[in-house]
Amino acid sequence: MGTAQSEADVVVSVEGLRTYFYNDNRCNKAVDDVSFEIRSGKTLCVVGESGCGKSVTASSIMQLLPRLARIEEGSITFNAQSGALRIDKLDRNGRAMRNIRGGEIAMIFQDPMKSLNPVYTVGFQIAENLKYHTRLASRAIRELTIEMLGKMGIPLPEKRVDQYPHEFSGGMRQRAMIAMAMACNPRLLIADEPTTALDVTIQAQIFETMLKLKAEHGTAIMLITHDMGVVAELADEVAVMYMGKIVEGGTVEEVLRTPRHPYTKALLASIPVLGRGRNQQIEPIRGSTPDPYDRPVGCQFAPRCDYAGEKCAVMPDEEYVSFTHRVRCWKHQEVAPDE
Amino acid sequence: MLTYILRRILLMIPMLLVVSFLIYLGLELTPGDAVSYMIPPDLGGQISPEQMEAIRESLGLNKSFIERYFIWLWGAVQGNFGYSLSGGVSISQIFLDRLPATLELSIAAILISTVLGTALGVITALKRGSATDITLTIGGMIGLSIPDFFFGLAALSFFALELGWLPVGGRLMPGYETFWDRLPHLILPATVLALSLTAGVMRYSRAAMLDALSQEFVRTARAKGLPEWRVNVLHGFRVALTPVIVLVGFRLPFLIGGSVVIEKVFQWPGVGNEFVSAVRSQDYPLVMMIALLSVLAVLIASLIIDILTAVVDPRVRL
Ligand SMILES: Nc1ncnc2c1ncn2[C@@H]1O[C@H](COP(=O)(O)OP(=O)(O)OP(=O)(O)O)[C@@H](O)[C@H]1O
Ligand SMILES: [Mg+2]
Repeated sequence: MGTAQSEADVVVSVEGLRTYFYNDNRCNKAVDDVSFEIRSGKTLCVVGESGCGKSVTASSIMQLLPRLARIEEGSITFNAQSGALRIDKLDRNGRAMRNIRGGEIAMIFQDPMKSLNPVYTVGFQIAENLKYHTRLASRAIRELTIEMLGKMGIPLPEKRVDQYPHEFSGGMRQRAMIAMAMACNPRLLIADEPTTALDVTIQAQIFETMLKLKAEHGTAIMLITHDMGVVAELADEVAVMYMGKIVEGGTVEEVLRTPRHPYTKALLASIPVLGRGRNQQIEPIRGSTPDPYDRPVGCQFAPRCDYAGEKCAVMPDEEYVSFTHRVRCWKHQEVAPDE
Repeated sequence: MLTYILRRILLMIPMLLVVSFLIYLGLELTPGDAVSYMIPPDLGGQISPEQMEAIRESLGLNKSFIERYFIWLWGAVQGNFGYSLSGGVSISQIFLDRLPATLELSIAAILISTVLGTALGVITALKRGSATDITLTIGGMIGLSIPDFFFGLAALSFFALELGWLPVGGRLMPGYETFWDRLPHLILPATVLALSLTAGVMRYSRAAMLDALSQEFVRTARAKGLPEWRVNVLHGFRVALTPVIVLVGFRLPFLIGGSVVIEKVFQWPGVGNEFVSAVRSQDYPLVMMIALLSVLAVLIASLIIDILTAVVDPRVRL
C-alpha cells in the first residue's frame, strides 16, 4: 500500500488544490486544499454528502469546470506517457489538454441517459474518441469500436454499433460510455457516480467490467460514490470529503475499520451494512450541510459533530495517524475505536 | 416513413372537409345571391329572371344545403373555386396569378431569415454575455418591436426614393420575364420581410443553442477531448437544429397566406395584397377561398415539420 510503492506508479497527484466558484461577487470554496494521489492499477474512492466537492475535484483534473469556477491554487500533476505534466498550467481547451482528455484521462458520468448525444449512433460517438486520439484509419476505428462494445458485454456489437442511444437500455448505455472512455486505453478513468442512475444488478455488472479493465490494463480509477458498500467492495484507497476538504483519507481497511473522523464514523453509521442483520442501528447524520456561501468558521463539521469542542473553532491541519491514514480533526484520538 | 406521409395526407381530408364546410356555410350566410358569383359576371347582364331560375334549378340551388355543399365541394376539388365578385375573374385564375409572386417573396424571406437568424443566434449563444451578444440581442428586440409597415416604408423611402438604387414597388416591368429581371424588385420586400423574421429566429435559435450546450452530452463530448468547433457544431448546433426547424416550419403557412403588410407597402402582386382588396370590396368568395388556402398551407406545413423533425432527430419515428 501507499508509500511501499515507488513514485513511478503515481498516475495523478493533486497537491493543495483549491477550486472556487464566483457567483454574484460571492465566493464558494467548493474545493479547498485537497491533496491526493492515484496510482496505476488502484482505485481511489471519493465519498461524501451531496455538494461536498467531489465532482468539482474530478472536473478540475479534467479541466472541465463550469465557467464560473477557477482553479485558484495548488497543482495537478499528471504523469503522462511523455512525462510529468502540470494540468493546472495547461490552457483549458488547448491542444495539450485535449490530447489528455479522452486519450489519457477518461471520464464517465452519472446519468447515461443524458450523457450520450441522442442524434448520433453509439458507434459514431465512440469512434469520435478514437478519431482524435489515434491514427487509425476509419475501417480500423470501426472494428475497434465493435470490439470495445463486445468487450463491455454488449451482445451483437456489430449490430448495436449503428444504433442510437435511445435504442439502448440504461445499463447498456453506461457500458457504451465505458467503451467510449476506455477506447483509447487511458491511464486514469474518472467515474462520477457511474451507477447511481442504474438498478442494483446492473450496478454490479458495471463494476465488474471496471474491475476487469483495471486488472487488464492497470488503469488507475477515481470512483466517486455515495455508496459505502461500493467503497468496501472496490476501493483500494478512500478519501472522505466534507465541504470541500478531505477530512479523512487512507486505505479501505483503515478508513472503514478504524475511522478517525467523526464525519466518517457518522457516515458509516448512517448506512445499513450487508450481513449485519436486521437489527443494526442506522442513524442518519443529524443536521444538514451548511450553505457553501455562508460557512461556519473553523471545522466545517463542528455544528453537526458530537465530539465538537472549543478547539474546533479553528480548522485543524491534516494529521497522519499512520503512513497512509490521514485525518483532519482535533479529536481524532477520541474518535478512534478502542483497539 | 412513406406510409406515415400517406396516412397524414389522408388525415388531412377530414380536416379539410370540416374547414371547407365551415367556409361554405360562411359563403351561404353572406349577403347576396349565390348565383351571382357562380356565373361569370360578363354574362350576368344578358340573363333573364327565367334563365336565372333555370340556372338555379340546374345548379341545384333549390336542393338542400347539404347537397349544395357537396356539389360546391366537387367543383372545388376539380379546381373550380367560383368567381371573384369584384373582378369577375375565376378564383383559381387569381390564385394562379398571385401565388407564384407570394411564394417567391416568402421563400426568399424564409431562406434569408433562417440562415441569418440561426447564424446570429448561434454566435450570440457562443459568446453569451459579451458585447456582441448584448448588442445583437437588443438589436433583435428593437427589430421585433418595430412594425413591419414602418420598417418597410423607411427602407422604401431610403433605398428606393432617396438613393434610387432599387425600384419602388411592383414585381414585373412589362417585357421583363426572367427571375434575374425581377430580382431588383424582390430585394427590398424580401429583405424587409426577412429582417422582421430574423429577430425571432435569432432569439429562438440562441435559446435552443444555449439549451443544447448545457446538456450533459456536450460535457461528454468535451471530456473526449474534441476540439471546441466540433463540440459546438456537431454536438451543440446539431441538437439545437430541431426546435429551430419547428419554428421556421410554423411560419411557412403565414408566409404562404401572404405577408399582407409587406405586400401592400411594396405593391407586391401576391395573395396578401389580393386579400386586402378582397376584404375591402367585401368580395366574400375570394376571402373565403384565401382562408381555405391558408388552412391547407397550415396542414401542409405541419406535415413538412413532422417529416423534417424525423429526418434530423432519430428518436422521432414516423
Ligand atoms: N455549475 C455550478 N455553479 C455554481 N456552483 C456549483 C456548480 N457546480 C457545483 N457547484 C458548487 O460546488 C460545490 C461542490 O459541488 P459538487 O458538484 O462537486 O458536489 P458533489 O460532491 O459532486 O455532490 P453530488 O454528490 O451531489 O454530485 C457545491 O457547493 C455546489 O453548490
Ligand atoms: Mg457530483
